[in-house]
Amino acid sequence: MRVLIVEDEPDLLDSLLKAVREDGYAADGAADGDDGLFKAENYEYDAVVLDIMLPGMDGWEVLRRLRKTKRTPVLMLTALDAVRDRVRGLDTGADDYLVKPFDTSELLARLRALIRRAASQPQPRLEIGDVVVDTVARTVKLQGREVTLTAREYTLLEFLAVHRGKVVTRTMLYEHLFDENDDSMSNLLDVHVSNIRKKLGHAFITTRRGHGYCIEAAL
Amino acid sequence: MIFNSIRWRLQAWHGLILFVVLSGFGLTAFQVARDNQWRRINQELEQRLGFLAFSLMSPPRAHPPRWRTSAAGVGDSQIDHRADARPAPEEMGEAGPPPDGRRRPHPGFRMNPEAFCERLNRSLERRIAAEAGQTNTFYFVAWGGDGKELKRSPGAPGNVPRPENVRPVQAPGAFGRLSNHQEVMAVRQVVATQPSGSPSPLPPNGAERARAPPARGRGLGPMTPLAPGMRTRGDYREAYKFLPFGACLLVGRSMAPEMAAMRRLAYWLVGAGAGVLMIGLAGGWWVASRAIRPIDAISQTAVKIAAGDLAQRINTADTESELGRLASVLNSTFARLEAAFAHQSRFTTDASHELRTPVSVILCQTQTVLSRERSGAEYREALQACQRAAQRMRHLTQSLLELARLDAGQAAIQREGFDLARAARESMELVRPLAAERGVELRGELTSVQCRGDAERLGQVVTNLLTNAIHFNRDHGEVRVSTGRENGSAILSVADTGQGIPPEDLPHIFERFYRVDKSRSRIQGRTGLGLAICKAIIDAHSGVIEVSSQPGIGSSFTVKLPLKQ
Repeated sequence: MRVLIVEDEPDLLDSLLKAVREDGYAADGAADGDDGLFKAENYEYDAVVLDIMLPGMDGWEVLRRLRKTKRTPVLMLTALDAVRDRVRGLDTGADDYLVKPFDTSELLARLRALIRRAASQPQPRLEIGDVVVDTVARTVKLQGREVTLTAREYTLLEFLAVHRGKVVTRTMLYEHLFDENDDSMSNLLDVHVSNIRKKLGHAFITTRRGHGYCIEAAL
Repeated sequence: MIFNSIRWRLQAWHGLILFVVLSGFGLTAFQVARDNQWRRINQELEQRLGFLAFSLMSPPRAHPPRWRTSAAGVGDSQIDHRADARPAPEEMGEAGPPPDGRRRPHPGFRMNPEAFCERLNRSLERRIAAEAGQTNTFYFVAWGGDGKELKRSPGAPGNVPRPENVRPVQAPGAFGRLSNHQEVMAVRQVVATQPSGSPSPLPPNGAERARAPPARGRGLGPMTPLAPGMRTRGDYREAYKFLPFGACLLVGRSMAPEMAAMRRLAYWLVGAGAGVLMIGLAGGWWVASRAIRPIDAISQTAVKIAAGDLAQRINTADTESELGRLASVLNSTFARLEAAFAHQSRFTTDASHELRTPVSVILCQTQTVLSRERSGAEYREALQACQRAAQRMRHLTQSLLELARLDAGQAAIQREGFDLARAARESMELVRPLAAERGVELRGELTSVQCRGDAERLGQVVTNLLTNAIHFNRDHGEVRVSTGRENGSAILSVADTGQGIPPEDLPHIFERFYRVDKSRSRIQGRTGLGLAICKAIIDAHSGVIEVSSQPGIGSSFTVKLPLKQ
């Protein structure tokens, strides 16, 4: 899962990026509205955290322009907590609203909820055959026994599980699993997939040659 | 209480004034009408009396007396008079031929009181006979010299007393001292003056006003015009005249029809007055409502504004009227109030935003770092971020406190003489390291000028302006500081060679939390309160701070302070 954070306060941006990355997301940061809008329009993000009071283009404008092209879930982040501002934010197309100062855990929970909702998977527990993926605890169980996965393996599995029944292309995986700072290597993807197959069974992830990977809906 | 409302009070005053005016008008109209009635009645009575007396007393002649026309005022009176005058020759015959063969004098006047009364009696009898069958408003009564009633007309009410102010009964021959001719003339004169005598209006209450003939002096009496006496007796108005030999003739009439007419007039006036009063009150109520309506509108708008809707304004379609002007004044007050509230609200929002951001940094940093074991370097980094946030909050709270103190007028502004040039020099030394860091050159053209104020706070202003000038300067630019005296003020000017301030931002530059370029000021950790504090300090010194700017060339801040007296 890949997240964009648009926040002009450098110390806050740094700690937010750190928190989100440690929660298993690929995360990019933008310090002003123009940079934020550019990234949001040109990369595939699973969610955008958007501050309202930004230098240059403000959060309202970024949101308005982004909504012309993308349906990416947006969580507005602001110091303004008047009801009028919240209503305006939600009416402009924001999906959620969080008032500063906030708890990091709340921000992360809301991000997870946003991403689930966007993928039409309202359940935090995904059950695929005898594999259970718990997106809150970030654990995977096979026939009731916990399977240990690396962070990368888990995010790859979670992404495929959320988009279960659909073919996920390699490009999509790169877009959503790695941030702009990752030195992504394409063969690494194959390594992660083969590791997951070793741990959960070969039939769990099918390869559609020339298209990508898929977790079958019928499993 | 509804009766305390302006409308009711207006109505009460209006009603009172209307009532007084209408009453005054009604009373005057009634009075005039009554006076006219009285005057007419008096005139009629006097005429009647005059003609009656004349017909009794005139010497019998075949032709009418030449002065008759002048005496005739009323048509029917004249006819009566003629009818009266005709039988005169017979009367003359009855008197009999004179005892001697000389040219005879008028027989009627050579008589004693008894004969006079007899003659009077007969004359009145003929008169009664002539008027028999006619309805006559007038009646007459005659008394002899001894006070006995001689004759009365059939229409006369019973019990008509002889007029009170009776002169003593004339001794027989009292008239006789005069020659026949003189007597005739005297009686003629008495008769002739009566109808033309101008009656004066009576007192309103109709009180008896007896116009008794003046007391007769010896030999003068008959020559004096005899005005008839007048009296009112109940519903009757009577005119009387004393005749020779103490006889008295009274003519009267009932005033009942006139009194009834006056009563009708009074009822009519009261009714019409009440009607007009009602219409006037209704009109007044309507006018008052119309006049009050804009006030109602104003108060309704004020209520809405008081209820919190500051955007409401009074409709001022008619700005020329007094209420229109009042509404304009109130509207501008409301506008100022709204602006003040908006300003306050924006200030609170900005201040809360400025405080929330560092709190968010501290919360986020600590929660993230504490979520798992970290290396020492990571802890240090997080703590440094927290420190920066805390420092920013300290700066912000200090600035806000300073502003609040200046706003409340609690900041103790020392009023002491100091040299503005020296304060500028000290501030320049203070910011010199910062200028060196940016490669900005500081230039001073400092002329010593003494002014009054708080040297420390004004030094703070200069430092603030200098810091701004360095921050917003281009690299290797310059900052010029000058002090001097101009138009009775001490002048301090700080000019930079930076980007300048866009014209649309210039009016807001001294507003709290106003930033021309948000990103730059935020990154440099500035609160957006510096210039607001400068302005507050200068305002507290009764000074002026101004800014001028040319985009691309630079900005110049000028401070004017009162000189030390």
